[in-house]
Amino acid sequence: MEPRERYMAVLEGGRPDMLPRMPILMQFAAEHIGSYYGAFASDHRVLVEANLRCAEEFGIDQLSAISDPYRETAGFGAPIEFPRNGVPICLKPPLEEDPDLARLSRPDPLKAPRMRDRVDAVSAYKARAGGRYSIMGWVEGPAAEAADLRGVSNFFVDLLDDPAYASALMARCVDTAIDFARAQVAAGADTVGIGDAVASQVSAKLYESLILPHERRLVAAVHEMRARVRLHICGNIRHLLSGIASLGLDIVDIDHMVSLAEARRVLGPNIVLAGNVDPVACVMRGSPEAIASAVRQCYAEAGEPFMVAAGCEIPASTPPANLAALCRPIVPR
Amino acid sequence: MTTLEQLYQAVIDGKNKDARALAQRALDEGANPGDIVDKALVPAMAAVGERFKSNEIFVPEMLVAARAMKEAMGVLEPRLVAAGITPKYTALIGTVQGDLHDIGKNLVAVMWRGSNFRVIDLGSNVPATKFVSAINEHRPHLVGLSALLTTTMPAMVETVRAIRSAGCPPVKIMVGGAPISQQFADEVGADGFAPDAASAAEKARALVESA
Repeated sequence: MEPRERYMAVLEGGRPDMLPRMPILMQFAAEHIGSYYGAFASDHRVLVEANLRCAEEFGIDQLSAISDPYRETAGFGAPIEFPRNGVPICLKPPLEEDPDLARLSRPDPLKAPRMRDRVDAVSAYKARAGGRYSIMGWVEGPAAEAADLRGVSNFFVDLLDDPAYASALMARCVDTAIDFARAQVAAGADTVGIGDAVASQVSAKLYESLILPHERRLVAAVHEMRARVRLHICGNIRHLLSGIASLGLDIVDIDHMVSLAEARRVLGPNIVLAGNVDPVACVMRGSPEAIASAVRQCYAEAGEPFMVAAGCEIPASTPPANLAALCRPIVPR
Repeated sequence: MTTLEQLYQAVIDGKNKDARALAQRALDEGANPGDIVDKALVPAMAAVGERFKSNEIFVPEMLVAARAMKEAMGVLEPRLVAAGITPKYTALIGTVQGDLHDIGKNLVAVMWRGSNFRVIDLGSNVPATKFVSAINEHRPHLVGLSALLTTTMPAMVETVRAIRSAGCPPVKIMVGGAPISQQFADEVGADGFAPDAASAAEKARALVESA
């Protein structure tokens, strides 16, 4: 099977020739091809080349457009700095001091330079390898983008002090996420990843009452575009699982601190679980044999349908032999 | 409920305006400012930490509790200073170089202050040399190093090495953050590790009291 066939087989309830390999690569991929993170995040040609070469070398089944959290934030007007070897920095969250939503314009994904660069990455994937690999676009989830715009602490306090404001802000974020997802699907993405990591830090009550409705609208909109949805909330989301179960997701990433068996029990038999090898203790610092064993253990705990991944991003200093071990083919039972 | 009991509850509930008013009322009623800290604010933050550890509350609730404590301390601090009451222990804290995340570091600082430490916050993206010079300047009992990103773990290694080799005054070093483990702490030669902010307060007291 070609990588995309393998991926779609799992999503459609069929039997792949081997489990799809879906690790999230950013700085690792950049440095693996002799480039650097700042270039990966600011120039889609570097991102595309890095991910394509890693996919070929390690046997990865999906090409991802993920790079950093600030594509939409830049579209909303935030200045972004690109350190050579670090995550891009948002120099000033646009709503940090003045929360007035009237100050936010609605960015056009094809005109805002950083958003357009991601759309161009998807187009380049489509042109170079679209039939062979699954292509995943990426958008920030409602809580993540609201936190990027307000500053994380401010947004968390907003959730308690002024939930109506926090909700209105997330609604604006979802409007833009939908626009951005639509542009990426039009460019060739078959899947849209939604990153909403800060949600792991709120209670189930706050998540279900304030954040989940916005995530649900975003997921439904992507499905209307006939694309698949992969949700990524790294960290401990054990307390959020019952809410996440109601989102109608295709794939959910599970980080290493959450039991895959429990995730399966709560999320049900149809959703694809991806994960959850410990990215630091095992993938970066473990031996290839320990990693391969951990993947098999994850599969045993998660059951079908399952895709291979670490709990979060592959750390930059991971030995290539370790990523190869993570991606070692596993024939489904 | 007594005023101190109400203040205790206001901090737990994150009611910052109530906390400020109740701290003022406690002073007006003749309470000793040190007693207000020891009998209301420190126990309140300890209770908040316990609830955080047991997943009864999460980061937003911690942040508003911290804000309430800060409001109350704003009323009390001039009186504490005038009475010559200062925390017994001093701690430095910062996120290591290359890492701009500060939520975890801020929560630990809050819990340390709530355990009656004087906390000097060096901020985020702090070079090892700045930790070393701050240790020489403030002579703390404890230094806390935070990292959220796996990519900045090597900077934590470098910072511990710099502190140990720079001829600094003796100081306990604690490390923490999402990718950090006890094994990592042992490997880099840190004195302590805590998996969350509440545990960090307990560990900090244990470290300085055993010194």
